[in-house]
Amino acid sequence: MAYPGYGAPGGGFPGMPPQQQDPLYGYFSQVAGQDGQISADELQRCLTQSGMSGSYQPFSLESCRLMINMLDRDMSGTMGFNEFKDLCQALNGWKATFSSFDRDHSGTVEGHELQQAITTMGYNLSPQAMNCIMKRYSNHGRIPFDEFVSCCVRLRALTDQFRRRDTSHSGNASFQYDDFIQVTMSV
Amino acid sequence: TFFHNAYQWFHSVDADRSGFINSKELKQALVNSNWSNFNDETCLMMINMFDKTRSGRVDLFGFSALWDYIQQWRALFQQHDRDRSGSISGTELHQVLTQMGYKLSPQFSEMLVQRFGGRGGSHGIQLDRFIQACTQLQSMTQVFRERDTGMTGNVRLNYEDFLASAVTRLM
Repeated sequence: MAYPGYGAPGGGFPGMPPQQQDPLYGYFSQVAGQDGQISADELQRCLTQSGMSGSYQPFSLESCRLMINMLDRDMSGTMGFNEFKDLCQALNGWKATFSSFDRDHSGTVEGHELQQAITTMGYNLSPQAMNCIMKRYSNHGRIPFDEFVSCCVRLRALTDQFRRRDTSHSGNASFQYDDFIQVTMSV
Repeated sequence: TFFHNAYQWFHSVDADRSGFINSKELKQALVNSNWSNFNDETCLMMINMFDKTRSGRVDLFGFSALWDYIQQWRALFQQHDRDRSGSISGTELHQVLTQMGYKLSPQFSEMLVQRFGGRGGSHGIQLDRFIQACTQLQSMTQVFRERDTGMTGNVRLNYEDFLASAVTRLM
């Protein structure tokens, strides 16, 4: 016979696993299968339904694929709930940065604003690298939110990979060829 | 001759007769075996590689070199697309990279197909993404070589250099 003091399963009772009390879990579990993992198109649905893109256009499938890659430690091509929570936290940060520059609420920022946003987030890129980013992400001189997020995801993924190899926190890391190629080509 | 073909293609795509082709116009000229147009990233990459004028466009001479470049990759692609599916699998890509002299793992090729594959990679990669992946691989190898002056197979990078190299070659 089950111990009566545990209470019944369901919403809000004490003793429930913490993740089920998280509002994000509702959106996640709606699209995730039995394995508790979501693929890129399921992530796209999840982000749309939970309103993560705010008043901006929903995220493209390509962006969602990049997001999964960013947090995909086991190279499974899917994302679990904890990774999803990390992603939402990052997205909220990027959304706040973006909207602080999107003063006319057009859903886009200009080239120089993208540069400022990237610097604000702490990235110290060379003028040449900045130029590449602007050419890659701007459409007639403007960068929409979805593309901004794509850029942030890739910068963050590269940074995370570098940090993992900079064990002495010196700002320097050693790379063997295979590892260097693996890291840079997977982002 | 191939130049004759490039010339014809150039003029069919340069509709406004400006003498230049930009990334969007290039997209009209380049197709995969299922007639889908090349993806935007590959078109942009091609323009960057062959634009000597730094104007974001290629002229006829730039386009001829670009065309030649693509034909060489297309030949390699077709050589390894044994089932003529118009897509290359992770296994087939591994054979391509081995033939090119790389000693990277089969898992790496699977990862590339996943990463560059348009539809989650489960159907392999088409010609456009194949060219994109191979070109970027060559580019990042070049980055590594430039810094591995002692030819040890090992480099020590600072964060800014690492990030800038990755960004300029991959974006």
